Order: sequence, then structure tokens, then C-alpha cells
Amino acid sequence: MEGHSSIIISVFSTSSGSGKTITAINLAAGLAEEGYQTCLVDLDLQFGDVMGYLDMVSDFTIADAQQAILKDEENFKIDDYLTSYKCGDTSFSVLPPPREINDAYLISVEAVEKIIRSMKGFNFVVLDLTSVFSTLNLAMLDLSTVINYVGVMDFLPAVKNYKVGYDTLLRFDYEESKICLVENKADSERYIKSRDVERLLGTRIYHNLPSDAQAINYSIRMGKPLMYCVPLSPLTQSYWQLVSRYTNRTKKSRFAAQQENVKKGPKKILSWLLGEDDWLTADNTK
Amino acid sequence: MTKVSYRVILVERDPDLLSRMAGMLKADDAFDLASTYHDAEAAYGQSSVFRPTLFLIDVDEPRAVELIPRYIKSYPQAQVLGLMSQWNSTTADAMLAAGACGCILKPFNSADVKEALRLYKRRGKFLPTRTLALFSPKGHSGRTTLATVLAIELAKKSGESVGIIDADLQFGDVAMFFDAVPRHNVVEASHDISLLTPAALENYFHPVGNGVWIMGGPLQPEHAELVEANRLIEVVRMAGSLFRYVILDLPAGFNPISLALAECADTDILISMLSSGQEVRHMKRSLKMFHMWDSYGKRVYTIFSGVQQCTEDHKRKLEGELGRSVTMMLPEERRIKEVTGSGRLMKDLPEGSPYVEAVSEFAFALIGERR
Repeated sequence: MEGHSSIIISVFSTSSGSGKTITAINLAAGLAEEGYQTCLVDLDLQFGDVMGYLDMVSDFTIADAQQAILKDEENFKIDDYLTSYKCGDTSFSVLPPPREINDAYLISVEAVEKIIRSMKGFNFVVLDLTSVFSTLNLAMLDLSTVINYVGVMDFLPAVKNYKVGYDTLLRFDYEESKICLVENKADSERYIKSRDVERLLGTRIYHNLPSDAQAINYSIRMGKPLMYCVPLSPLTQSYWQLVSRYTNRTKKSRFAAQQENVKKGPKKILSWLLGEDDWLTADNTK
Repeated sequence: MTKVSYRVILVERDPDLLSRMAGMLKADDAFDLASTYHDAEAAYGQSSVFRPTLFLIDVDEPRAVELIPRYIKSYPQAQVLGLMSQWNSTTADAMLAAGACGCILKPFNSADVKEALRLYKRRGKFLPTRTLALFSPKGHSGRTTLATVLAIELAKKSGESVGIIDADLQFGDVAMFFDAVPRHNVVEASHDISLLTPAALENYFHPVGNGVWIMGGPLQPEHAELVEANRLIEVVRMAGSLFRYVILDLPAGFNPISLALAECADTDILISMLSSGQEVRHMKRSLKMFHMWDSYGKRVYTIFSGVQQCTEDHKRKLEGELGRSVTMMLPEERRIKEVTGSGRLMKDLPEGSPYVEAVSEFAFALIGERR
């Protein structure tokens, strides 16, 4: 990380479907909303979902960036290959995965390292990885300031994989303080409790994200991060808390304002709980 | 005194080897050595007078392999075992395809022959192996659930043996679904494969009952790196001598292992779980890679899991989006998740549930197909 000023947060897991992409998108959006220059990189090169979840299209992908950086590293400007996601006054950059699977094969780990290192202008770089210890993922974990290690503990084999993954990260000499254990769908009625997982892992869970499948489905359907379409969802609030953990900023003012909104607008909350189509959107909350 | 079980014709080019192996058979009362030959053609023409029940034929000579279908046709009462000086998967596959019961290494002792015949009998019908690779573009697709339930249903419906190889080398869950702790795993099998025979490879599989065996994944994800695709393919091909159906639970996405095994299988089953709405797009992208094999006669099936409404209308809608037929839709079922997650899949499989019924029908259709 020598000479690199951006904070790199990699979102990693050992079981697919644990909410990596949703977490990466909402981290990036939250950081951008906080005023940080943020770039989200979709490193699921074969089947990345970031563009789909944000309803975006782009002319350039990481494949084009690789071609350019390998051709002329000195004059390479990462901004030429980024697509901007805008919502209201906030925006963050996205580096999409290649369009074709064949192109994904041609992406080299060295080139991706160079591309990420070229993102010095950003305060935060969020990496959405795949659920495997691949050469690329390990190189990205090496580059990362923190590893946001997501897991869903509703299925025993997934807990096993979470434990195996955590032990592997430690065995690979990643510092314990760098690994932030984030439990997704951490609802209290699960038969595998958080404290059991903590006992199994021998460490504390860094952050718990509650379950809200309805909010996630809506967010994907709308092509917007949670905070712009379901700001009052407990999951959105939890993502805000996670963002503030990474920015070391307290969110008291924001929460106070939102609590005020809650008091003022019970109808809207109720309609959201009842699943009516009267969602709070970026437009009507600003 | 042991009852004579087999009237044997032994064919071997090398006179020394022939005499050594003949001696082995003569010393065992279970075998009655009817005659020996140096040449497979001569043995084929002259053996009828001995009414043999077992042919042991040197198949290092390609011509002998070509003769096997004629042996099978002319001697329907006899079993045919090939003799190889070194294991050769291509020859072993050709022998199984011709209707022989497989191959053993030479020189053998009589126990090797008995063990091979026991394994081939347990394997099932003397028909070519069906190798089914389960591929999913992304994880969390219900791939392992389908692999394991399909194995149980195939074994039940066919009465033949089924082997599952957990090729999801970093985070495979097959053993956990059966609450099994296999002694050996796929990394060890791949490492040792050049020294193994089917009888030795059997020890790398763990029986989970009802005609199903599993080969578990490694204990640590980094061990996956030790597996070379070509060696794993050898494991898969040799497993075909032990099991009539070999099911490969592949890692998610395209990587050297998933591509190599999907190519080596005769049937590829693509599965994706409907959740975020991106799955049809992923399936379409994946199918591009399978398209070439599809047109070369390999069977490619597409399955969607986690389907909330398994109706014909929904299926047609999916087919419209996908641009090709959808083989099966699997409903989301809490009971399946419960039994897989707690390792009670074999004991408490919810028979008659929509999920199991759908897989059962699929298994039945697979059994009816010829490779």
C-alpha cells in the first residue's frame, strides 16, 4: 500500500448469495453521500451484477482499462474508463466488468493491481469480489485497507465455509484487525445465533446487517442503492452505521433527522411495512 | 472346497506373463482355466467349445479392443475383463462402451479378478458410464442440493450405483449434506491417480448408503491449487468403472476445473437460482460457452431453482427470455434446506415433496436415455 492514499475496502465472502454486491453498492453509495470521492469496482469478472443492480450501461469496462494501462501506463487516466452513477447531488464512479466472458479470461491480475493503484484520486475504492480464494481476489485482499468479510449464517454449510474462510485469511497472514466480519441477515430468530458464530470463530462480529429481502428486491428493481429508495429500512440504517464505522464519523445528526422524519411521517413507514407502492424515493426525501 | 464359479479363457501375448497369470488362476478353486491363447482373434474363434463364463483378454493391443463387441455378442453368458499393463482410461472407457465389465492391471492375482468382478457387478448394468456435470454461473444456485438429491433418485430408480465427486474444490459441501467425514478427498485422489486402479480408487469414495458414494472436497481451500484438471479428469474417468452414474458438482463460474470437467462429461446440467432477476442473463452468457458442445451431441440441460411459481406459463416466460427450452423448474423448499443443512439428506429426504418429485422425474428421464 506504499504511496497509495485511497482507502480500499474489499467486499469478500466464501459463500455466494451472501450479499456482497448489495453491500458493495450500498457502501459505495453511503461513502459518496458522505462526500467522499468513491469508486466501486466490480471484480466478479464473469457474472458481475453491479451494473444490473444499478440499472446502468457503460461504453467502457475493466477490459478497456487493462488494454490502455498495459499500452501506456504513464499517460493512463482511470477516469476515462469509469461510468458515473448519479442520484440527486451524489455520484460515485463504477468500473464495470468485461462485457463478454471470453474477455474476463484475458484480465490479468497485474493489470488489475495497476488499475486499482491508479485510483489515487479517490478517497475510497470499494471492490466487489467473488466467493473464492483466487489469485485475483488474494491480490486484491493484499491491496485492501480492510476486508469486509460478509456471511449469512442461516445454513450450516455456509457457517462452515465462513469459518474455513476466516481461518484461511488468518493462515494467509491477514491481520485480524483488517478483517471486518459482517453478518448478513442477522435476525434474532435464526437457529444459528451470532454468539455461536463468534464462539466458533473465536472473535467478535464487526457488524450485523438485518434481513430485508423486500427492500433489496425493490432496490434492484428500481436500480438504486437502498438509501435512495428505501431510506427507512432497518437494513439501510444498518448500512449507514457500517459506512460510519469505515469513515470514523458519527451519524448522530443524520439519524436525528431521520428519526424526526419517522415521527412526522408514520403513514409512509406503515405503507413501506405493508409493502404498498408508496416508497420513499430519492426525489421525495430530498 | 470352493465351488468353481468361472470357466476362464485367458488371452495374453507375452508367454511369460501368460504362464504366470495362468498359474495364479489354477491355484484358485474359484477359477477353472479352460484354455489360454496368445492372440485375441484365435481365442474368439475357438473358445465356443469351452463354454467360457469369463474372458480375461490382453487389451494393450488395439485390435483386441476392437474385437470386444464381437465377444460380447457371441458369448452372451460370459463376462469380459480387459488386462492392461498400465491403466489407460481411453481403453477402459472403450471396454465399458463395448459391454465388457472393465479392466484390471496385469499381472494380476486371483483376488484382483474377484474384486474387479464384484465392483463391476455392483456398478450396475454393463453399459457406458453416464457422467453428469452440474454447472452454475454463480454460487447459491442449489447446485449441490440438486447433485445430491439427483444422486439419491438415480440410485433408487435405476438400482445402480452413483458416485458424486465434489469438484467445488474450495468450499464444497457434499460431505456435509450427508453428515459424512470421508477419510480421503478429491485432492488425494487426483494426486495418486496415476498409481490407482478402480479397486484402489474405491477407497477414496465414502459410502453414504442406498447405492450412493461420495468423494469429498479438500479440508483447506488452498489445497484446491494442488488439483490439476487433467488428473481430476482421470479420476472422473476411472470412477466410471466403479459407478454407472458419476455426478460432478463443479465450482461456480468458468475456471480451468469447471471447464475441463464440463467438457469431459457427456451431460451438462446448468442450474441457476431465481432471486435477483439477473439469473436468466447469467444463464444466457453461460450457454454461449456450452453452445459448441451442445451441437456436438453433448446433452445440455437448463434448470432454474428457487422458483416460486412452477407453472407452465412461468416456464414459457423463462424460455422466451432464455431463447431455448428450460428442462425443469425446481421450487424453493424449506424442508430440503433443513435436511441438507443438518446432514440428514439421506435419512430424511422429503419424499413426495414437489422438489423431490421434480428431481425424481428428471432422474427417470436420464435413466431412459442412452449415452
